[in-house]
Amino acid sequence: MNAMSGTSETEDFPTTFTNAVHGGLDKVLGQSGAAAVLSHMKMTRNLPDPAEFHKKLLALFGEKATLSLERAIVKDLVRRLEWALELLSIEGPFDFSATMLKIQKRAKA
Amino acid sequence: MTTRRNPGLRPLTQADRQGNTAGSGAEDLAETRIATVLGLKQFTQRPVRTLLIKGLAGTGKTIVALEILKAAGKGKGAYISSRVPKELLEAHIPAMKETLDNQDFLDIRLEDATSVLDFVMQLTEPKKVRTIVFDSWDGLAKELDQRERLRAEKTLMALANNSGAQLIFVSEEPGATTIDYLVDGILELLRVEEQDRAVREFIIHKLRGTKIPQHKYLFTLLEGKFTFFGPYAIPDYSKIGKFAQRPDIDESYSFGSGALDRLFGGMIPGSTLAIEYDENVPYSALRTIELPPIINFLSMGRSAILLPLPGANDEGTNSILTKALDETAVADRLRILNVVRTSDLETTNLPKSATPKEIHEIVTRETTRLREKSKDRSVLLVKSVSALENLFASDLDSLLEVTSQEIITLAQSHDAHILFLPKDSPIRSRILSMSSSYARLFVRDGTVLMFGVKPHTGVYALQHLGDPTSPSLTQLV
Repeated sequence: MNAMSGTSETEDFPTTFTNAVHGGLDKVLGQSGAAAVLSHMKMTRNLPDPAEFHKKLLALFGEKATLSLERAIVKDLVRRLEWALELLSIEGPFDFSATMLKIQKRAKA
Repeated sequence: MTTRRNPGLRPLTQADRQGNTAGSGAEDLAETRIATVLGLKQFTQRPVRTLLIKGLAGTGKTIVALEILKAAGKGKGAYISSRVPKELLEAHIPAMKETLDNQDFLDIRLEDATSVLDFVMQLTEPKKVRTIVFDSWDGLAKELDQRERLRAEKTLMALANNSGAQLIFVSEEPGATTIDYLVDGILELLRVEEQDRAVREFIIHKLRGTKIPQHKYLFTLLEGKFTFFGPYAIPDYSKIGKFAQRPDIDESYSFGSGALDRLFGGMIPGSTLAIEYDENVPYSALRTIELPPIINFLSMGRSAILLPLPGANDEGTNSILTKALDETAVADRLRILNVVRTSDLETTNLPKSATPKEIHEIVTRETTRLREKSKDRSVLLVKSVSALENLFASDLDSLLEVTSQEIITLAQSHDAHILFLPKDSPIRSRILSMSSSYARLFVRDGTVLMFGVKPHTGVYALQHLGDPTSPSLTQLV
């Protein structure tokens, strides 16, 4: 899986989301940190639903760091989908799960 | 005890942690363990979660890190080694075997950064591990490029911050690296040369949120344990108890102190011991060497003469002596002759302009008088050269002449002679060349240090850990 690969016409949303998780974590934690987090969460292949992912991140890193990591993932995802980040209000505290759902719905539309 | 070699193979489970619930007695120090080990507990206002211990090979980094790990409590720490396997580390530092046995040990010599970070997550997620030591961090970090290294370090900081665990990074990289900016504290260990002898020193470069009253301290690794020395503290003389007499050591007189006897092997009758001291050595530190031989001589039924150091308070000295001994021994067999005090000159019928020779004559006369009262006719003469130099500044040649005469005369007797000599004494070299033994006192980082030049000894830190009249000497190794 190439974390840096962008979205493409053929890439489905789960794949884009997975790549964005890798990309976002890479940006903050580095390649080894991101790989360690995903390996620790046993999510190297299949990413769980955002709520479970959020819970696991929270257990490892606490609120503030989780917020930073999730924001990095959302930014990466939005970049891959070539959307304007302004459409999502993620500057303050935000609900990762709800945001993901919102993005998924919009991507399907 | 758990020794791990393959962190990536399986996650840690509760069963892996023997003694997990064992109390260490350190629970109340959760936020201040580092400061406690470094002797800074009382100054810590904020938690110190991450510490970098730097220094060249052989400076004691691993022992300091293990002391901090030990303070975490049984089963509540982990040691991650990129250098040596557990068995070798235990062989190198036997005193820390128990600490290593009580904690998780991870051998990561062949592991990559991802496996190590995963292992740290396994340790920190349950929030039970209090301290994790990386020895050495460079061993792993050098394999990463600069950006990746910084991110891995940030990951560790975030994990530590969330779990409350302390991370101790051991490093042999002398210059500042990315981690210097991330950690709460930086400790540098040095091995420096002082008076042709090696001493160990640690420098606190940073300890966030902590007022650092002193940034350099001496320490020793005696018996494989980290012991630091705070600034010299004056003993509490109110705790003086009755003196326990120390018998002669074969043909030598005891110094009245186990520490001094171990250092010099006692005083040979007829010998002169010169104690050279720097101007910043506190008077109470000198007094702790000056008084035990006198107290022991009197306690053994012998006699003593004291020409005190300038600034000495005779009443204070008498008060200490009478607490340690019975008053009659002090009154009958001790003569304190304060040559810079007019009243003493009056009692000896000497004019204010007494010459060195006249003082020498008084000392000789007093020696003869006290010899008759001594159970074996031996007398101890403890003399401050500085007091005499102050008095006879314009006639130092005469002072040297009578002092030499005294040393020669004493050498043919069964008396013992201790001379206190300031480092800048103009007659220093002549006196030292005539002395049979010679010790030196100086101050570094607030700690009073002592070593023997004749005979050659290692460096010892002088403290007052027990009896306030007697010194405690701890070797710096």
